[in-house]
Amino acid sequence: MSQPIIEIANLVKRYEMGDEEVFALQGVTLTIGRNEYVALMGPSGSGKSTLMNMLGCLDTPTSGSYLFTGENVSDMDDDDLAEIRNREIGFVFQTFNLLPRATALQNVELPLVYAGMAKDQRMQRATEALKRVGLADRMDHKPNELSGGQRQRVAIARALVTSPSIILADEPTGNLDSKTGQDIMRLFGELWRGGNTVILVTHEEDVARHARRIIRLRDGRIESDEVNPHAPLA
Amino acid sequence: MLRWPELQESFRIATSSLRVNLLRSILTTAGVVVGVVLVVLMGWTINGLDAVWEQTISIIGKDMMYIDKWNWAGGGNWRKMEARSNITLDQALQLQQRMESAEDIIPLIRKWGGSVSLGNTSIRCSVTGTTAAYGNTAAGTAAAGRFFNGVEEHSADKVVVIGYNVNKNLFPTSSAVGQSIKIAGIPYRVVGVIEKRGFLFMDFVDNEVFIPLHAFRGAYGFVGRSFSVGIKTGSERLLDIVRDEATGHMRSIRNVSPLDDSDFSINEMKAFDQQAKNIRVGIWVVGMGLTILAFIVGSIGIMNIMYVSVTERTKEIGVRKAIGARRSSILLQFLIESALLCVTGAVIAFPIAQVLVGSARFLAVSVFELEWASVVSPLIPLDLLGIAVGVSILVGLLAGLLPAIKASALDPVEALRAE
Ligand SMILES: Nc1ncnc2c1ncn2[C@@H]1O[C@H](COP(=O)(O)OP(=O)(O)OP(=O)(O)O)[C@@H](O)[C@H]1O
Ligand SMILES: [Mg+2]
Repeated sequence: MSQPIIEIANLVKRYEMGDEEVFALQGVTLTIGRNEYVALMGPSGSGKSTLMNMLGCLDTPTSGSYLFTGENVSDMDDDDLAEIRNREIGFVFQTFNLLPRATALQNVELPLVYAGMAKDQRMQRATEALKRVGLADRMDHKPNELSGGQRQRVAIARALVTSPSIILADEPTGNLDSKTGQDIMRLFGELWRGGNTVILVTHEEDVARHARRIIRLRDGRIESDEVNPHAPLA
Repeated sequence: MLRWPELQESFRIATSSLRVNLLRSILTTAGVVVGVVLVVLMGWTINGLDAVWEQTISIIGKDMMYIDKWNWAGGGNWRKMEARSNITLDQALQLQQRMESAEDIIPLIRKWGGSVSLGNTSIRCSVTGTTAAYGNTAAGTAAAGRFFNGVEEHSADKVVVIGYNVNKNLFPTSSAVGQSIKIAGIPYRVVGVIEKRGFLFMDFVDNEVFIPLHAFRGAYGFVGRSFSVGIKTGSERLLDIVRDEATGHMRSIRNVSPLDDSDFSINEMKAFDQQAKNIRVGIWVVGMGLTILAFIVGSIGIMNIMYVSVTERTKEIGVRKAIGARRSSILLQFLIESALLCVTGAVIAFPIAQVLVGSARFLAVSVFELEWASVVSPLIPLDLLGIAVGVSILVGLLAGLLPAIKASALDPVEALRAE
């Protein structure tokens, strides 16, 4: 396996709902290397999103260890985590999560704003990212002036713009029709072939088929973790 | 660590969110608007009073002091002062002989409840007997005609110089100079009219007429009255020297033993400063009270709307955090928005305050014909605008603090789940 980016061991996430305890994750151990293409699958409530949030340093585990590029994430404070998310992680959400009042270009620039980059450089990088997702001609459009597929492309451009170590996508095609969904999946494939590490959550076997490795969760545990036999060649 | 791009982004977000919620923003700032208007009005009023006051004391004479039986400012023991022996003309003349540092020594004797008449009209005023030297003081400057001169002072001719208000009441349309008026039943020829001296609460100083000392003695007599000795120093800088010299001579003239306190008071225009200061403090206290109240009400409104804003934008906060916004970035964003909201209030308040100030002055000068108001500026002073902006930024930061902290502490996962 290539050099690991993500190494988690016995990861547990417990939620307390009044008297009741919910174990969203009950001891997950997992290693993901550079330039892998992973699909996380499993029934609803199996803990996919919870694991994703953990991997993306949005959430911290109840117990267990998480090394991100060799660094122990559990020891970090909020601002350290924010910096890792900014530099190393690109998120793509099911509901796009673009800022409605900002143009496509401004949305894509945003991570660079928090990275402290100057305006000229931001514009240049954001424009490149939008070109990469095929939206060079929609840069000044607001989200409500774009189709669902185009919005998700803007979101992907935003995830790409900082050249992160991994791209995390939680059901990125969940709100798109199948044709548009396939376009988006082609885009992830390109990113992966370009050297990116891609991890996505999905319900659909059709979507998961694009990945090289499929991890199935059930009740907060890994049920299976195997190479995808149907994966297209790199 | 504060990063410039984040700061710019915060301003961009703040302005766009103000624009999107324009009406709501404007309504929210109402309290701040009232507060800023009050601050500006208060500052303008105090500035105006200072200007009026400065005008009054400079016209009455900053370089003057008066030796009197009474202390003008009302300080000291009233009974003790009443028991003092009257200052006589002879003492005034002795002082005149001895003084070296002063420019002029001017004996004055006053009848407070006098009256003058023209035909059937009679008005009450004080009648003052003095010498021609009074015409050399700032308070004796004539607006029309002139003060009586040394020849007239000693001749049998009856001459009078009338104060501004006396002139206005007796001769509203025609010129007073050369006309004849009656004082204590005897006709006097008006040789001059004194320019306006008293502004605001000093208006009474213009209800006065001046006649030569011997005429005063003829009309009212000197007995039972205490002279006031006016001393013109010629310059404000000489006040201390002249006061010392005059005190020494006067003590010796009045045989005050070295162990006793002086049995006279030396009055200067400064004595009225306390009065002016009290009024200033009064306006300040009332104004400040109202202002603080308005700002408290205003900041509660701002805080409330900022909480609403944080709730409305929970999802946005989640997104920003997910892509790398730190706590401080979010905190800054909401603090700037709140401060900008308050500054908007200040900007709305300025034209309102200016219109109020402008109309107040217009009403005072043109409708109520208060002449003193004309020395007050019709414009809001710039430093007040600066203070008002500063205060509103501060209020904005304070009012926005709790909502901003709440926003910055949101858990990103929870926030992203919000609708
Ligand atoms: N904030 C929370 N408080 C309490 N329980 C939670 C919370 N978040 C998740 N859970 C619980 O944890 C479990 C896993 O949730 P998670 O969202 O990870 O599932 P999922 O696999 O993403 O499901 P889906 O496919 O429906 O999105 C669920 O039982 C859920 O109810
Ligand atoms: Mg989920």
